Amino acid sequence: MRDRAGPAGAAVTVAEPERPAFDAIVVGAGPAGSAAALELARAGRSVALIERGPFPGSKNVYGGVVYGRVLDELIPGWYERMPVQRWITRRQTMLLSGERSMTVDFRCQSWGRAPYNGATAYRAEFDNWLTEHAQKEGALLVPSTVVTAVLRTAEGRVVGVRTDRPDGDLTARVVIACDGVNSFVAKQAGLYPEGQAEHTTLGVKETLALPKETIDERFGVSGDDGVDIEILGGTQGVPGGAFLYTNRDTLSVGLVLGLPGLAGQGRRPEEILAELKRHPSIAPLVRGAELVEYSAHLIPEGGYHSMPRLVGDGLLVAGDAAAMCLAAGIWLEGVNFALGSGMYAGRAAARALAAGDLRRLRDYRSLLESSFVLADHKKLRKAPGLVLSERVQHRYPGLVCDLVEGVFTVDNPKPKPGIRRLLRRSARSNGVRMRELARDALTGLRSFG
Amino acid sequence: MGELLVVVALRWADGRARVDPLTGEVETDPRGAGAGEADRCALEHGLRIAGAAGGRCVAVTVAPPQAEEMLRDALACGADAVLRVDVPEWDPRLADSGSGTAQALAQAVRAEFGEPGLVLTGDHSADRGTGSTPAFLAARFGYAQALGLVELAYADGALTAVRRLDRGRRERLAVPLPAVCSVEPAGVRLRRAGLPATLAARTADVPTVPGAVAGEPVTVHAARPYRPRAKELPPPPEPDPRLRLLRLTGAHEQRDPPRVVVTDDPGEAADELLGYLKAKGYLA
Repeated sequence: MRDRAGPAGAAVTVAEPERPAFDAIVVGAGPAGSAAALELARAGRSVALIERGPFPGSKNVYGGVVYGRVLDELIPGWYERMPVQRWITRRQTMLLSGERSMTVDFRCQSWGRAPYNGATAYRAEFDNWLTEHAQKEGALLVPSTVVTAVLRTAEGRVVGVRTDRPDGDLTARVVIACDGVNSFVAKQAGLYPEGQAEHTTLGVKETLALPKETIDERFGVSGDDGVDIEILGGTQGVPGGAFLYTNRDTLSVGLVLGLPGLAGQGRRPEEILAELKRHPSIAPLVRGAELVEYSAHLIPEGGYHSMPRLVGDGLLVAGDAAAMCLAAGIWLEGVNFALGSGMYAGRAAARALAAGDLRRLRDYRSLLESSFVLADHKKLRKAPGLVLSERVQHRYPGLVCDLVEGVFTVDNPKPKPGIRRLLRRSARSNGVRMRELARDALTGLRSFG
Repeated sequence: MGELLVVVALRWADGRARVDPLTGEVETDPRGAGAGEADRCALEHGLRIAGAAGGRCVAVTVAPPQAEEMLRDALACGADAVLRVDVPEWDPRLADSGSGTAQALAQAVRAEFGEPGLVLTGDHSADRGTGSTPAFLAARFGYAQALGLVELAYADGALTAVRRLDRGRRERLAVPLPAVCSVEPAGVRLRRAGLPATLAARTADVPTVPGAVAGEPVTVHAARPYRPRAKELPPPPEPDPRLRLLRLTGAHEQRDPPRVVVTDDPGEAADELLGYLKAKGYLA
């Protein structure tokens, strides 16, 4: 029998427990886990929330935006109490090509007022805050405890987990796997398909300290307002993207890099990040900042087609464990999908427990399908492939920058060229056929439209 | 002699406090705070000694409510009881010599548990790190003290300890009880609490008594990296690199052989130390 965690670990076969210790065990106290535990505890169910770190969020790597609309249902009035760094009121999409950049900049001041849209947050604060809600409702947080194996009956029903603590077996009627990307629990339960590496990216992030006034000045914001910059083309040819977010007195700047592409190039992610920070469009924003943290984490970006089976016998999978991260170019969202999937997993488990019929765990999938969680993923199922395609990654940033450069370069005494001619010329110089451009535009329209 | 009461005094501190690179302010995070490694070793020693002596091990701290997690961990590891001495308006920047903490601890322990047979602590806390609290505790209780220990063992009613000396030597001590001992973060590692005990401790009540620690807030006026002053050191004159190395390390210098002085009289011991310091030119 193997006791260690990891994909090589195996589920442990046990006898059907006569009296399970808990109604439910939730593995992982991230947004999905805490949302699931909160729903179960509210329904009056005994629930253990097992967290490998010393406190929720302590093991997390995150540099993104929390879109809290789903919290309206989970924690009404959340925006009055949630630990926020800055409310995002300015959103930019930036294309980088060589030393050039083209940015679409959108500002919306109403996003900085209730009921708000999205915010940057430190996950150590956010996750802890969310878990406290679950604890107040009666969930039992068990920190510093690693789940090493799934306990299954001979018939294959999941009836608990084994932890790394002495006498570490814990039984329950339902287990909800919210143990993040590369979920060992879901893998041991046989819910994951092979070939996850190609659907997984590596996120690396630097947290850079700057005085708040400097951030306000450089990014053109004030008060609690913040900026979200999503970047395409700053990854030195590795499929992926880059990002820059403002916190109160730090910046989160980082990359998301496709694993096969990164391995193929044999480059170190920190080298690529250093290149990004040297870009003429990024360097003035981060100049003089003090590095306070460097971190890295895997991200499940494959979308709808790479998701595992979400329901097993006695087991539900939610959050990053279920590959619920939406990486669809203009939309980069994860925490809201984790919150939503965790909430519906908790709700489905509570209903199944109340009915005394674990077959009703299958309702989880229908709850997800009738909500934004699977509806968005299904609609945007082709987007990750398009965004990470060779053309979007390598050729289109150059095409756009060539086109814009041609439009704004004053080349007197020559007359101004027509846009169509410039487009053809830019497409040709970047190896893009007009037919491919039209096809990708159609795919994008179908995905995003 | 009755049941041995072993009190382990834990310091609640953020072991990963950071200094803001821009302002020099010390930033602590109560979520990541807990017992330092030396205190965790002290708890393990306490659990072992109480187990060997058939006594009780209790864990105490002077700290704000967030420290209850640390005490719950102690319960899960096997402590028989815990106690938190509550400090109103806790400010981690308060500088206490250790005297105030020792006074608050001694008062609370006596009131709640009676006179302890052995008080254990880590040798230095992770934040202040002066290592003075154990000595103040010994003074408060009026006990013998053995500080900075690397080994501690209890057998047949006797407590023995090992302390680190200069030049890699070790000092073996027979510690009379009752005593206050502080231990280095070495030799033992705090046991991993079992899951049933962890679950039980998660919902356990942590008894709290009021206390007060006088202290002065520390203000950071300026922060800069520590740069020791350069000291001019001419190279030894020997042409052979090996001989230069030996000269630099002082390996071939003539030294007085160590002398062991055994005396029960504190006055004689003090005279011996003063005589040695005079002979070496440290005292006129």
